[in-house]
Amino acid sequence: MRSPLLAGLLLTASLGAAPVDFAHEVVPILRKHCVECHAGDKKKGGLSMNTRVSLLEGGENGAVVTAGQTQKSKLIEAIVSADPDVRMPPKGERLSPVEVATLRAWVEQGAVWTEGFAFKKPAYEPPLRPRQPVLPEARAGRTHPIDRVLDGWLADKGAPTPVLADDATFLRRVTLDLIGMLPSAEEARAFAADRRPDKRALLVRSLLARNVDYADHWMVFWNDLLRNDYAGTGYIDGGRKQITNWLYVSLLANKPYDVFARELVAPSSDSEGFAKGIIWRGAVSAAQAPELQYSQSVSQTFLGINMKCASCHDSFVDRWKLRDAYGLAAIYSDHPMELVRCDIPTGKPAVAAWPFPELGQVDASKPREERLAQLAALITHPDNGRFQRTIVNRLWHRLMGRGVVHPVDAMQTQPWNQDLLDVLANRLVESKYDLKAVLEFIATSQAYQSRAEILSRDADDKGYVYRGPRAKRLTAEQFVDAVWRLTGTTPAKIVPQVPRAAPVAGAAKKPVIEPLLAAPIWSGDIAVGRLPAAGETRSFRRQLALDADVDAATCVVTCDNGFELYVNGKKIGAGDNWADPKSFDLSASLLKGSNQIVVVGHNAGKVPNVAALFFQVNVTLKGGVRVRMATDTAWESTTSVPNARGTFAAGKAKAAEVVWQTVALVKGDAWRMAEARMAEMLAGVEGSSAVPARASLMKSDLLQRALGRPNREQIVSMRPNELSTLEAIDLSNGQALTNLLSAGAAKLKKRTWTSPEELARWLYLSALSREPAPAELKVAASIVGAEMSEQGIADLLWVVCMLPEFQTIR
Amino acid sequence: MNSPLPLDPSLPEPLARREFLRMLAAAGAATLSMSAPRLLAESEKVVQPAATADSVILIWLAGGMAAPETFDPKRYAPYEKGLSYDRVLSTFPAIPTCVDGIRICEGLENIAQVMDRGTLIRSAVQPDLGTILHSRHQFHWHTGYVPPQTVACPHIGAWMARVLGPRNPVMPAFINIGQRLEGVGESEELKAFTTAGFFGGEYGPMNLPFPEEAAAAVRPPKGMDAGRFVNRDREFRRLVDATPSRDLLSDHQHESMLRSMDNAYRLLSAKERAAFDISLESPEVQKDYDTGRFGRGCLLARRLVENGARFVEVTTEYVPFFQWDTHGKGHETVAKMHAEIDRPIARLIRDLEQRGLLDRTLVIIASEFSRDAMIEGRPGSKAKDQAFNKSGVMTSPDHYGLHRHFTGGTSVVMFGGGVKKGHIYGATADERPLVAIKDPVSISDMHATIFRAMGISPKTAFDIEGRPFYATVDGKGVPIPIFRS
Repeated sequence: MRSPLLAGLLLTASLGAAPVDFAHEVVPILRKHCVECHAGDKKKGGLSMNTRVSLLEGGENGAVVTAGQTQKSKLIEAIVSADPDVRMPPKGERLSPVEVATLRAWVEQGAVWTEGFAFKKPAYEPPLRPRQPVLPEARAGRTHPIDRVLDGWLADKGAPTPVLADDATFLRRVTLDLIGMLPSAEEARAFAADRRPDKRALLVRSLLARNVDYADHWMVFWNDLLRNDYAGTGYIDGGRKQITNWLYVSLLANKPYDVFARELVAPSSDSEGFAKGIIWRGAVSAAQAPELQYSQSVSQTFLGINMKCASCHDSFVDRWKLRDAYGLAAIYSDHPMELVRCDIPTGKPAVAAWPFPELGQVDASKPREERLAQLAALITHPDNGRFQRTIVNRLWHRLMGRGVVHPVDAMQTQPWNQDLLDVLANRLVESKYDLKAVLEFIATSQAYQSRAEILSRDADDKGYVYRGPRAKRLTAEQFVDAVWRLTGTTPAKIVPQVPRAAPVAGAAKKPVIEPLLAAPIWSGDIAVGRLPAAGETRSFRRQLALDADVDAATCVVTCDNGFELYVNGKKIGAGDNWADPKSFDLSASLLKGSNQIVVVGHNAGKVPNVAALFFQVNVTLKGGVRVRMATDTAWESTTSVPNARGTFAAGKAKAAEVVWQTVALVKGDAWRMAEARMAEMLAGVEGSSAVPARASLMKSDLLQRALGRPNREQIVSMRPNELSTLEAIDLSNGQALTNLLSAGAAKLKKRTWTSPEELARWLYLSALSREPAPAELKVAASIVGAEMSEQGIADLLWVVCMLPEFQTIR
Repeated sequence: MNSPLPLDPSLPEPLARREFLRMLAAAGAATLSMSAPRLLAESEKVVQPAATADSVILIWLAGGMAAPETFDPKRYAPYEKGLSYDRVLSTFPAIPTCVDGIRICEGLENIAQVMDRGTLIRSAVQPDLGTILHSRHQFHWHTGYVPPQTVACPHIGAWMARVLGPRNPVMPAFINIGQRLEGVGESEELKAFTTAGFFGGEYGPMNLPFPEEAAAAVRPPKGMDAGRFVNRDREFRRLVDATPSRDLLSDHQHESMLRSMDNAYRLLSAKERAAFDISLESPEVQKDYDTGRFGRGCLLARRLVENGARFVEVTTEYVPFFQWDTHGKGHETVAKMHAEIDRPIARLIRDLEQRGLLDRTLVIIASEFSRDAMIEGRPGSKAKDQAFNKSGVMTSPDHYGLHRHFTGGTSVVMFGGGVKKGHIYGATADERPLVAIKDPVSISDMHATIFRAMGISPKTAFDIEGRPFYATVDGKGVPIPIFRS
């Protein structure tokens, strides 16, 4: 019930007493009672009174002030209520009757606000669209756009320009950063001896051209960011799906990042693991429903938005609302959703929408697939600078040790240098979303090539100041790879079956890759719409007539899902992973005259599903004539299976029983990456077995866990940079590392060394990419000892691997 | 003006508002910091209670310890062919304890004699989570949060390590004994909560799956004698000092890595490492504890606490379908488990008492849920029955036992650490369903109670990704009144 006094005042006000003076009457009241919790960074209950717009927008329970209508204004209700759960301010002094009357009158008169007035500096809102910053003039001949921005910034601050790092430091840093491995001692020597003035840029380019090494290394970053792993929670009962193969081939081919993102946002069966998230058996909180996980993952990974708060209630720390989180969820959802606030249904329907309608909006009335495609298009919209800035900031963080926006998932916060961020983002767009191009752009800047900052304990206490790149701790994978290589203990097998191809010999030389001739085939039945049965096995054949002796012949073959290849009755090889095509040298198997090629193909699965066989052979005959033959409709197929010699029967009668049918071409582009790979293989790129294992392609183990490889149940965008005591204990006495070092010592002992010093020099060059200083050489040689025992070598290996210089990328 | 305005009755306004005020009180001045969560400076000051304990030993009977077979005996029916499940509440008869009015199950005669040192909570309850998955309930019990969560939740031991730190600077604050994390079923799920989560590795568990091998975990690596180990460390320091980049020595990251290496070396060469070596105990003591890996784990836990460990968990180990995870042969298996836990637990309590440590050490016996012969989950639950034998009568002794997961009433025992002695808290029904009928204790309240003993407010919060993360969900856990004075 309202008091008569108030009603009277209200009447007076609305009857046209002198208009309330916002600046002199209202502002002091709001400042005294409200803005401490409802302005600037504070938005308790989602309500900010910072500006008129934010006030009228209301909080998470809806409107708080409706201009001209005190009845509908909860603000008035709250300042007079005695209910401790409703009253505002919640504690302390109440508003005086006069103050209440003033606010009433102010609301009644339309909540007039002084144009442009804000209680606190408005919360930072980053630009959405791309910007074209004007670059400062180059200084001291440093023309790289990154250097122009940073040198200009440094000059403005009167701060010194970071000094260039020496070649050895640069070599180690850039090799670890781009391909995750230590440069070998030979690479270190060669780089030191290289006198070409542009050798750093050439090195960057040659590293990025090592496609397999690059893919192996960046699997770490992407597995963390897309929470993909080879074992983990959820896989046990089908609540989670790997995207390993899709991811690997995407990295191997350096798939343009906009395409990459679209394939994750609107996924195919190969890439849907990311969108699906982790589904736990049983009831989960509303904020962890698969659709909300999608909302969180997509917004965090691609837009640097933390939707976790807003999945449960309007965020207290940024501008995202419950409806934003549910908007993205509803795009993905195959059923209508209701907003659920802190596990209590609100009764309000979720409307499919994404958070930047300025660039267009998803049509909520469309079916799911279309909505997802629309979202994918909006996220990768050329005007969506947020998408571009988010990824280039992540790459900058990986290379420079600190994000331009930091932490890297807080893209709503202010970058320390907006122009820098935009220069990077624009490079991404100019290169058609080529991530390698961005890495090259960063790595060829003088800024990246500068000496790492010496960190003081309180480095960022007063905000970040750029003083050059920051050292990074080796990831678990980098550490383990490095130890494997130093000790010659790299295991033979990797866990996921991914199509690894060796780098092309002669780094800069690109092979001529012809389009693949081979077409996907299966039995003619599929032409009438029958899907091959699960587990179906068929044989396929074709004659190959050659007019001359064979000089060289290479074939490639793969089958969804497995095959055995026979040539002229001899088994050549087999494969059981369609994504990993096999290549065989047939120069000794093919003969002048008629040749019989037989491939047995297997389909897998539990229900009928698509199967396809690819085969191609490229032959060069003596005299130089080239012959190419590949799967096409001229092949034949039978359900019979050959004997061990690849022939179908011993006697004529039985052979006649084998019924050969025509084949049909299989529709679909699921094998695109395998096809591209086969084209590469035919062009002379080596097969995958030649590539040594990498820690990134192994299941996590005690050592990797001890070194900080995460569980990957949550998205991880930054791993801890510091070594914990428990990790140090593992490094000091853990059996896994000890065994590696002992095995390495045994191998090194067998090599011929002229002196302990020689071994120490080799180790310094291999592990730290530099020669030891005289004092170091003396200590290192004394650890090995004159007799060069295995024990001494193992101890030196340990000591060097424990050096902070080794454990970091400086 | 002092009466509230009428509210729209169609809106759950007061509730929503209350909820939202609670969130506000918590939000504080949050900033985005992802790498190192900070203790939140609350607008509402959190008052940390006075601690009644300095250490915790959590005895974890993984797999679902049936309360009616251990600490909450009910009507007993011996096995006979054709026995109907509905006649079986307990497969062990009750025995008296040293406390009048407290009876526990046959097979726990040694523990019965120390029941005057602690409080028996008979009314712990767990949510059903729609389906019973051990690792999920274990995650909930150990972190206080129902998985999945958007951030990596710390184990309660990591909370102790983070908030209280080590009692002895060379002794890891959080030690986890007896659980293999590799090579056992659901190991990935176990790893998900056996972690410091967002607190970071520094607060994570030191895992010692085999108590008899614990000494090796703090010894120089196999094949390296002490002399070589000491020498190797000395050479390491010499080589660090010989670096030509003098400026590096003042680098913070460099320095902190060296500090961690130094901490590790200190433990590996400190006298406290003897605490990890149970073979240093007299043969008599070793024999008394040694009922198996678990018993040896209890001995190790005692030695660690004696030497300043903060939080030690020791478990009978979770391996699906083994130990307490009785889906068949329940009676026989539980009899074995009784034999495995009875002597070591009782001895642990007496040993701690004898050393004057029990008063400041909270020993907790707990499990993720209880079991029942008939009811899966709790009454009305839709949880899928996972018992091997589902018929109404028992045709083989293998059928005799409590093979269903029961979440409606579970026993937890707490000894020492300031809790009441010879006390019972809560009760379950005497007839099926054996649900808590008095003073039910949620996991949040259970955690609040443990935190309270250790002097940590259940409202203690850390800023993680810009939002508060509480020791108990939403800071709402309330300690149960089982403390002396």
